[in-house]
Amino acid sequence: MKQLIEISKELLESRKAGYIIGYTEDKFHRTKPFIAHTTNDAEKLTFNQKAVHNLAVYLTRLPKPKEGKIGIVAKGCDIKAIIGLIQENQIKRDDIIIIGMNCNGVVKDINIDYNKENSQMKCSICELRTPKHANYIVGALEDFAKSELTKNILAEFEALSAEERWKFWEKEFEKCIKCYACRQACPLCYCEQCIVEKSMPQWIDSSPTTKGNFAWNIIRAFHLSGRCIGCNECERACPVNIPLSLLNRKMGMVAMKEFNYRHGIEPDQPTLIGNYNTSDKEDFIM
Amino acid sequence: MRIGVFTCHCGENIGRTVDCPAVSKACADFPGVVHSEDYKYMCSDPGQNLIKQAIKEKNLNAVVVGSCSPHMHEKTFRKACSDAGINPFQVEIANLREHCSWIHDDVPSATLKAIDMMRMMVEKVKFNGPLTPIRVPVTKRALVIGGGISGIQASLDIANAGYEVILVEKEPSIGGHMSQLSETFPTLDCSQCILTPRMVEVYQHSKIKLMSYSEVENVEGFIGNFSVTIRKKARSVKDELCTGCGLCVQKCPIKKVALSEFDEGLATRPAMYVPFPQAVPNIPVIDRTICTYFKNGKCQMCKKVCGREAIDFEQQDELVKEEVGSIIIATGYKLYTIDKKPDDSPIHGYGEYGYGKYKDVVSGLQFERIASASGPTSGEMLRPSDKKVPKKIVFIQCVGSRDEAKGFSYCSKICCMYTAKHAMLYKHKVHDGEAYVFYMDIRAGGKMYEEFVRRAIEEDGVKYIRGRVSRIYQDDGKIIVKGEDTIAGVKVEIDADMAVLATAMMAQTEAPKLAQTLGVPYDKYGFINEVHPKLRPVETSSGGIFLAGACNSPRDIPDSVAMASAAAAKALVLFGSDMLEREPVVAKVNEATCAGCLYCKKVCAYNAVEAKEIKDRNGNLIKVVAYVNSGLCQGCGTCNATCPSKSVELLGFKDDQIYAQINAFAEV
Amino acid sequence: MEEEKFEPKITAFVCNWCTYTGADLAGTSRLKQQTNARLIRVPCTGRIDPVFIIKAFEKGADGVLVSGCHPGDCHYNTGNFHARRRWIFFKQLLDFVGIDSTRLYFSWVSASEGKKWVDVVNNVINSVRAKGPFLGYKNLNKETELPLVNKN
Repeated sequence: MKQLIEISKELLESRKAGYIIGYTEDKFHRTKPFIAHTTNDAEKLTFNQKAVHNLAVYLTRLPKPKEGKIGIVAKGCDIKAIIGLIQENQIKRDDIIIIGMNCNGVVKDINIDYNKENSQMKCSICELRTPKHANYIVGALEDFAKSELTKNILAEFEALSAEERWKFWEKEFEKCIKCYACRQACPLCYCEQCIVEKSMPQWIDSSPTTKGNFAWNIIRAFHLSGRCIGCNECERACPVNIPLSLLNRKMGMVAMKEFNYRHGIEPDQPTLIGNYNTSDKEDFIM
Repeated sequence: MRIGVFTCHCGENIGRTVDCPAVSKACADFPGVVHSEDYKYMCSDPGQNLIKQAIKEKNLNAVVVGSCSPHMHEKTFRKACSDAGINPFQVEIANLREHCSWIHDDVPSATLKAIDMMRMMVEKVKFNGPLTPIRVPVTKRALVIGGGISGIQASLDIANAGYEVILVEKEPSIGGHMSQLSETFPTLDCSQCILTPRMVEVYQHSKIKLMSYSEVENVEGFIGNFSVTIRKKARSVKDELCTGCGLCVQKCPIKKVALSEFDEGLATRPAMYVPFPQAVPNIPVIDRTICTYFKNGKCQMCKKVCGREAIDFEQQDELVKEEVGSIIIATGYKLYTIDKKPDDSPIHGYGEYGYGKYKDVVSGLQFERIASASGPTSGEMLRPSDKKVPKKIVFIQCVGSRDEAKGFSYCSKICCMYTAKHAMLYKHKVHDGEAYVFYMDIRAGGKMYEEFVRRAIEEDGVKYIRGRVSRIYQDDGKIIVKGEDTIAGVKVEIDADMAVLATAMMAQTEAPKLAQTLGVPYDKYGFINEVHPKLRPVETSSGGIFLAGACNSPRDIPDSVAMASAAAAKALVLFGSDMLEREPVVAKVNEATCAGCLYCKKVCAYNAVEAKEIKDRNGNLIKVVAYVNSGLCQGCGTCNATCPSKSVELLGFKDDQIYAQINAFAEV
Repeated sequence: MEEEKFEPKITAFVCNWCTYTGADLAGTSRLKQQTNARLIRVPCTGRIDPVFIIKAFEKGADGVLVSGCHPGDCHYNTGNFHARRRWIFFKQLLDFVGIDSTRLYFSWVSASEGKKWVDVVNNVINSVRAKGPFLGYKNLNKETELPLVNKN
């Protein structure tokens, strides 16, 4: 981590960066988000396999520094969220300095050390271990144990009948307590007033009825279709363990299959929603 | 909320299938409704007075009327309520006629449905806010697309009223199909003689900017404020320098390659050509596909003989942008060609008539060219194959029309008349000739039309046979026509010298594409739709865009001219005021909740959304939000549905209004 | 006791310029249809948010029909293209969650297609009738005694 700390110190000292959003180790040897304002703070920056948090979520929540840009420590997958935010006018590329980290996989549960079972599924299929679009690239690439890719988890799920699928989701959504942790953890959920907070009219029940839970989760997945970058922080944040990654991954598959599109790869790539193709399929339309 | 509900019987139209008194009674119990009554004809004067009275007496602030379609009378009721003091946008219409009484038979279920529909509108109107119309300036210039008789008439009418007109015509000359005709019914006027003065008037008119050999490429904007991009195709001749001397045309060596479009393929034209002698403008065009210079860089004969150095081989298509306030579509028609090989026509039939196979089987327009004094035979009645005078000629009506199996289901309207005309022209020139007409019906509904047809039969001895033709084939130089005479009940076979097919009138091939460019609807035949066939025949559903002539449906010259003047009048109505009041159904952004993602900007088809910076008092940027220019917004609401936080809402169709309607049709 | 025959409730979201006018034409031509559908008029299919569809199902619709102008013919040029893209996602999402997405129908009906509109509406009503009431949502609605119809 020497390289990371050196770069951060240099950025803060020269006031090129007003503050740096990164990770640090806490008292219990877990990793947590940390904002370094001074060179002393920068000494505490770290990066390891427990750095699972998507720090891009802070880019829309923190006030801009008085002087200098915002530095951010980011994995390849996190940068996709940053690009998404740039495309949606939430930040300008020139206003941030991305310290890209070569990544060796991250955990699911930060209380336990990294191992094959405690590893994110996204890491086993990751193509951005060396991040793109970063101002600096730091760290060494090492082999790591990949989680057992329950291949075709989506295909397996879709092979179930509509009845079975409904029962599955009914069971899951009954658990939902409408805490909106999924929304808070998502870097692309930055709406000032979320649709669920609109009461005139109230499209989505804010009370945790199963009906309202269905509506909330469906609409959130829909609003993220073509925008979700698959960081899975929503699933990790959910206190009742609803498998949100299934939903969001399905939307990602639809974007890939129907439109050959992945979000957050290039800032000048035309977005999926907001554009159209005259040859979009319409076999389902009478 | 004090809502008044008015249920119209529409005479028997609603009243027969929907129990209007019951509907009115049910509505009286809806929460928020303080007045409910029904009446025979709500749109009539007494009906409207009932509404106005109730507004005053019961202090209503919103009105729901159960009546015919809002497309019919929404404006009527809005005006009535506005006169009585309510904002016109706090009025909603439930379509109890077109969407209920006219499509159902069972009175109890239709009545229940009517009550549901009224409830939905009552719930919606509770969330209607008052809206004020938006005023935009009007550009007092018109664009006329198409330089046939309809386009010419419309242009002259508008120009003579003092406004500038841009007339765009895709062919090198204006005049359209009328310039190809020899004589016109029912007067047998020489077509060119009555048309050419008009064409010249257009050319010389100070207020008409004629853009011939040009096509409309793109149209943006809306009523009163269109921005049009026109492609001026390259003639290869500088029109400011050309005097129309015609020397280049004379000297062009490529004379026999191309078939003349004007002569319907019966003659050839050079690579450098003017479509016909009386062309306006009289400036030639080089057909670059066959010109030797463009093929291998040689020749340049035209350039050598041009005394004004007007030939310009380097000339490129030019894109010209024009601002206009109104557009008139006058693109006319084309005739259904029925080769064995289908061209761009969706129908390919009648191969059994041998058109395209036998030279002496010709179409209506081809016959016009043969009969015309300026045509390939100089007006002599000579048949195409061997230039002999045909002694027996057969005319066949309804080729492609009134035939759902092989052609179009509609009637092309002009064929009965022009066939009679053709037969008469033939008989006037070949006194001892025999003319036969195979017909299904004779449609001669215009002024002096019936008399015209009778003249053909009684004075000129044209023989009319009621029946269809099954086959035409050639035998020993003769055209054998096999048909039937249904009145006599016998089969008929005629060994004619020539056959003329009265082929169907179709929409132009590019008409659907033009309609899409303009954003106006068209039907399955490519004819452009009018808003209402009876009451609004020259308007399209896009404000400011009007129709004239055969682009809308098959039509003869008198009706086309009348329609063109009508369309011109509509444009002049628009130009009559400096500011236009637009419906305020536009989008509005709630800047407090907008996060500035600008997806609304991406989906807006009219560039009506811009980014707006919100700054604090010291000039520091707080955030960037979306902002809708209500002058440009057309009110589609795509932004509203795209916005995840619903920060941009379409006034008149807001989320709460739609929610109220969904909710009203609920499990009771 | 005779059980009341199930009659489906169909909420239809239609665009003003094409389908609504096509439905008007069906009315003018007196083409008969079944009474189960209620039309909600919007200016363009672009205005239709999938959240409307979910709310319609929540509020008791057994089937939902969404209809607009043919691609290329939208009165507002591109509204239906954006709508179509949304629908591609939404239909697959509903399907994935196990909500019977076959109860959701889409169609393109132009202003001159009165006959087609009648066919579409009757087909939808018949198909949904055959499927029966939308029990999934009806059962969800029984979870609380929350009143369904706003009474204000």
